[in-house]
Amino acid sequence: MIVRALLRCHAFLALAYLLLPLVVIVGASLTTSEFLAFPPQGLTLRWYEVVISDPTYVASFLTSTALALCATALAVILAIPAALAIARNEFRGKAAFASLLLSPLVLPHLVLGAALLQFGGAIGLTRNFAALLVGHVVIVTPFVLRTVLPMLDKDQLALEEASRDLGAGPFQTFFLVTLPQIRTGIVSGAIFAFITSFINVELSIFNTTAALNTIPVQLFNYVQYSVDPSIAAVSAATILAAAVAIVVIDLTVGLDFLPDDD
Amino acid sequence: MTASRTALIGLIALPLAFSCAFFLVPLATVFAASVTSADGAGLTFASYARILFDEYHWSVMAVTFRLGILTTLICVVIGYPLAWYLVRIVRWRSWRRICVILLILPLFTSNIVRSFGWMVLLGRNGLVNETLESVGLIERPMRFLGTETGILIGLVYILLPFVVLTVGNALAKVDRSVEHASADLGASPASTFWHVTFPLSVPGVVSGAIIVFALAVSAYVTPALLSGGRVTVLAVLVFQQYSTVFDFHYGGALAITLLAFTLAMIGLSSLVSNRGAR
Repeated sequence: MIVRALLRCHAFLALAYLLLPLVVIVGASLTTSEFLAFPPQGLTLRWYEVVISDPTYVASFLTSTALALCATALAVILAIPAALAIARNEFRGKAAFASLLLSPLVLPHLVLGAALLQFGGAIGLTRNFAALLVGHVVIVTPFVLRTVLPMLDKDQLALEEASRDLGAGPFQTFFLVTLPQIRTGIVSGAIFAFITSFINVELSIFNTTAALNTIPVQLFNYVQYSVDPSIAAVSAATILAAAVAIVVIDLTVGLDFLPDDD
Repeated sequence: MTASRTALIGLIALPLAFSCAFFLVPLATVFAASVTSADGAGLTFASYARILFDEYHWSVMAVTFRLGILTTLICVVIGYPLAWYLVRIVRWRSWRRICVILLILPLFTSNIVRSFGWMVLLGRNGLVNETLESVGLIERPMRFLGTETGILIGLVYILLPFVVLTVGNALAKVDRSVEHASADLGASPASTFWHVTFPLSVPGVVSGAIIVFALAVSAYVTPALLSGGRVTVLAVLVFQQYSTVFDFHYGGALAITLLAFTLAMIGLSSLVSNRGAR
């Protein structure tokens, strides 16, 4: 009984530790003072207005959104055929092919960013949207691949064979039979891909410029030299967006990060 | 047969080409630069020798590894009981769901934002110092920013969810009937935990710890922000070489060192999880 009480206490403290910096940022973004303060001194939405009327913030927000959307779309286009190849075929080098596509998940993004900067410099692909995009596609594709792969199981293969026996072509079978069944895998993979791209710093930082900047890199550059409540407001907005994304995932594909043990 | 060959090539051509062009070849370029010299005189290991014999580099390595080991230990110590609580103790489903959301929310938020939160909390007049002063634990504000302690607090915060998720998954997979058998044979709950449950969860703990260690050692954003430029870790050194010094040879050698180290950790982790699965 005592052990349980201690564990409860520990869990509450640990969860509070996880929530604390986020609460502090949201709180600090509401302060009426000119400097960053927590607890906030008075409550105002003024800093959010400052951010919305600042063209550099708006521009980098648009860049981040466009980048994450394009990267996610390309990742889906690359991951689905790759998943079909891995799940449905036996070929030499299959394991190598799968781990090649999945490895950006675990390798340090900073190293990959450096590599793309150096290689991009050699082929003339630096400091533009395309340079940012290719890197983001590399790191987000594994998210889609990982969620689509387990959905391509044996039962579906039978349905696809049935579809083909009934005279459907390969494309018809894919769009009418396979795609609807792996849809949830694609959706949850795409959500992770979008978020991963949207919050990335380590990769983007090599190819951003004053004119072409993503929100996290811009924050990173600001925070190192000056902090004021408008930065807290931008940060708070991204926290709220993350919270909305989680609720959407919970309601659509479901949050199954920790399984039930019974 | 030929038709399916063609179909297969059609499926893998695009992802393979993309991955080679923007992942494999760039990494190979870094490796190539790391073993050549600036004057193009051919193959040399001078950059690696510089890493091996440079005292400053050793101190950076020492800080990086110390932070990695401490972060891993603290994450396991905090994370294991939290995972236990979430998997074994919480019975009220809605509360459990809220807990999982609290665990995931930081993962969905940029490292920048989370580290920025700690910059505010750990500042001279931040909440942490004010709280410690008001309860009388310290007389004057402690310096956290620009110290290893500050970076450690940030890294533990960033990486804790990974341990909780891996350990939680391991705990959920432990066969409860083994525990019931242990209890039926007269073992106390504590002895069942130490002799049955804990050993069964060890593979989860080890793989979680290895992931956290690899991520902590290669972390860039959190050390960069919480160090205030006073503490340098390996990833910060790599970034400096690439973004301000433009030394792709030495920077490349540093990047390959970081990469090799991460790969070794991942290899170790898959070895452990394969043994666990057997």
